Amino acid sequence: MREYIIQRIAYTFVTIFVVASILFLIFRMLPGDPTAQVISPALDESAQKRLKQAFGLDKPLYVQYVLYLKNLTLLNWGRSFTSSYKVTDILWYRFWNTVFLMGAGMCFTLVVGPGLGMIMAWKRNSPLDVGATVGALIFQSAPPFITGLVLLMVLSYRLDLFPTGGMHTPGFHPESLVAQFLSRDFLHHLVLPTVTVALFYLATPMLIMRDSMLEVLGSDFIELAKAKGLAPHVVMIKHAARNALLAVVTVSSIMIGFAIGGQVIVEQVFSWPGMGRLMVEAASAHDYPVAQATFLSLAALVIILNLAADIAYCYLDPRISLGKESVP
Amino acid sequence: MGDEKGIKRRDFLRMTGAAVGIAALGGADFSMAAAKLGKKVERSKLMTTTATFDPVRPEMARAICEAFSRHLGWDAEPYPIDYNQNVQKVIMEHDYDMWLVRFTGSSIRIDPNVFIYKAHHSSQYKKGGYNWAGYNNPELDRLAEEQQSEMDRERRQEIVYKAQEIIHQDQPENVLVNPYMTNAYRTDRLRNLVPQMGEGIGSFWTDVEMEVVQGDGYVRTGATVALKNLNPIAVKDANEFKELRMIYDRLFRISPKGVAEPWAAKSLSVVSPTVIDMTLRQGMRFHDGQEVTAEDIKFTFDYYKTWKAPFFLESLKKIKAIEITGRYSLRFELTSPYAPLIPNLFGSIFILPKHIWKDIPEKVDVEDPLKYPNEKPVGSGPFRFDYWQRGAELKVSAFKEHFHPPKCAGIIRIVYGSHDSMAAAIEKGECDRTRYILKPSLMQDLNKLPNVAGRGYPSHGFYDLSYHTRRPPFDDPAFRRAIAHVLPKGIIKDVILDGQGDPGGSVIAPANEFWHNPSVKPFPRDIEMARRILRKAGYGWDKHGKLHYPPGRGA
Repeated sequence: MREYIIQRIAYTFVTIFVVASILFLIFRMLPGDPTAQVISPALDESAQKRLKQAFGLDKPLYVQYVLYLKNLTLLNWGRSFTSSYKVTDILWYRFWNTVFLMGAGMCFTLVVGPGLGMIMAWKRNSPLDVGATVGALIFQSAPPFITGLVLLMVLSYRLDLFPTGGMHTPGFHPESLVAQFLSRDFLHHLVLPTVTVALFYLATPMLIMRDSMLEVLGSDFIELAKAKGLAPHVVMIKHAARNALLAVVTVSSIMIGFAIGGQVIVEQVFSWPGMGRLMVEAASAHDYPVAQATFLSLAALVIILNLAADIAYCYLDPRISLGKESVP
Repeated sequence: MGDEKGIKRRDFLRMTGAAVGIAALGGADFSMAAAKLGKKVERSKLMTTTATFDPVRPEMARAICEAFSRHLGWDAEPYPIDYNQNVQKVIMEHDYDMWLVRFTGSSIRIDPNVFIYKAHHSSQYKKGGYNWAGYNNPELDRLAEEQQSEMDRERRQEIVYKAQEIIHQDQPENVLVNPYMTNAYRTDRLRNLVPQMGEGIGSFWTDVEMEVVQGDGYVRTGATVALKNLNPIAVKDANEFKELRMIYDRLFRISPKGVAEPWAAKSLSVVSPTVIDMTLRQGMRFHDGQEVTAEDIKFTFDYYKTWKAPFFLESLKKIKAIEITGRYSLRFELTSPYAPLIPNLFGSIFILPKHIWKDIPEKVDVEDPLKYPNEKPVGSGPFRFDYWQRGAELKVSAFKEHFHPPKCAGIIRIVYGSHDSMAAAIEKGECDRTRYILKPSLMQDLNKLPNVAGRGYPSHGFYDLSYHTRRPPFDDPAFRRAIAHVLPKGIIKDVILDGQGDPGGSVIAPANEFWHNPSVKPFPRDIEMARRILRKAGYGWDKHGKLHYPPGRGA
């Protein structure tokens, strides 16, 4: 087991290194000179040279690559070409905005989804089972911008219950992070994007839980529990659901990673200043340091969550064993 | 066929049908000229940006190529690619046939120097230069140089008029349309908005003059582009200028009509074409209470020059020396007479507080001021900085001690994810006005609502069709003049821009009243005229109606 974990961690570092190298090359292979975006073409050549020199773009590519790797290992991401802020500061600020948005959405999804899945399996083929399945599949199939726009149209523009976007009412400027993320104003702005995210991702944990539950419900130990005269909700929750949750746990870690990286559209629709919009802004402005850091940190997050899922699976599922320790 | 004012889609379709007929009739030219034809005029590409970057440009490119093909039998195809690649191909490599680009109406483009000298002087055909068309006319070169060094405004105007005529006749590019700045605002909250040429109500003059009649006095201003930088040395794009100019003062300000007028400078006298004396306004203070003196002005110019501030680098080369002649007076010595100096340098450079910037970068965590984020900008402008939540909003408040204090309590610049969400916020009253262009169709929708006004304001910016004049067939002025008569400007204006613009003629737009030559008018749309010009220049058509070069010519 220990060797396996060390091996997986080593693979993870190699994967991150490869992703970092690919990102370095991809952004430099994009057509067009980065200074053409960073600096107006109306300026003369000396101005463009000046900017290239300031940001080290005048150095040969291999020198830039070595510097990039060196800085990466020191967790020094440099400064943004466009804003001059430290990339770590920019990422840190945007990261939390996204974490709160996706965190709220995922919490909703991972609480409601498995819960609904459990009840649906218990009441298989009931109107609730059929209705929830169809509903979840509709929301999963609809692009989040459609769901988001419909919610905005009805609940914001027509009924005036929620704001049209942003994280705060303009002019609201909390002094601390706690005040920022726990204020009523923030929570009010959080509702619609959260519901959009939750509706989009709900189907996965819900249907996995339902299928897993159905499999577990056919097991002998469930029959035994029922025969013991245990209350139906005790059988459903304590015996069936606990065993069925394993599949949901596995898929959730990967889903969260993808969700954090895939919220670009939701952030765009709700004018949410998070990582997704930062990715778009940085990539379109050829702001290499920010673009590389954003993509790499999201990729690293998905890779690390995969690693965590693999390791967690070893511990959670006693049927899985590795190498010499495997049981025939 | 005449001009096409008020053309609608249905008319467009009818016209294109008729054009097919005309193109077929073109075959008649074949009978008499078939034996004398040169090579077929090769297919050309019209490069432009993608619809994501600007939804109207690919549409314009399609309409133009369609017109060339149908009316002249010359195949052209739209080539929409990433804007960055456009810049690389056209400005850096000069590898293109035609380019459809938009010049926004920035204040630095009000002075005619950009469109006369930079865009057309033969010396500017270089990597990164503005004369990517490769235009070369010694007479125009002479006029372009002359207007640059002519310090008398009236005499300079005459030269600029003449230059416009020459450029228009030679057609190194065609000014397709002067689009309006389409803005919207809440009429129930705001009063006394002052539009400026090229900026509409997103202007500095609206910032300082508008009054808020409801609420807390702050104006919620919507934008769809995130603010990137608040460093006055590293300033690059128009959005940064729009916000920084509220916080930092300038020696001159461009008036709503586009004329450079003294601002922090009280007066200016031209001692000789290369010596300028300036007196500062007294009693000005930075937001931290320190007085603004001639020391700060000299420091500002020296600092920008020492650190080669990219945007100002070219103009700063014209400054040879600055001498402080009193607590509030200075003398500028120029390397050579340079007329655009006042609007394009004095009117754009931001006055830095010496007591703050003298320690940058030495005492901060950067080796180059271009990398300094300037998190809490301190200037002497009419607004002082409150906070900037990056990617979300910027708040500035009125600096009441300023000599021209704003009439509102302050401005909150909010970033919206799209034009649609910004329009919705205006409709709901969450946003009071737009800073930059709002999609024309949304502007018109908003205009139907009570308490909202959506308007288009004239601009000196334009959509431009540039030709590579060193490549056939564009190396022939007759060819360029002929195709100017075929361009579907009516469709571009009425259908593609929803009426929010005027057909373009001169590179100096009519909105730029002082410098625009009123005798330079758009070429009328006249297909027969286009074909006559081509025929006279020796071009002809084969039996398939395809355009051919004059005998002996062609790539």
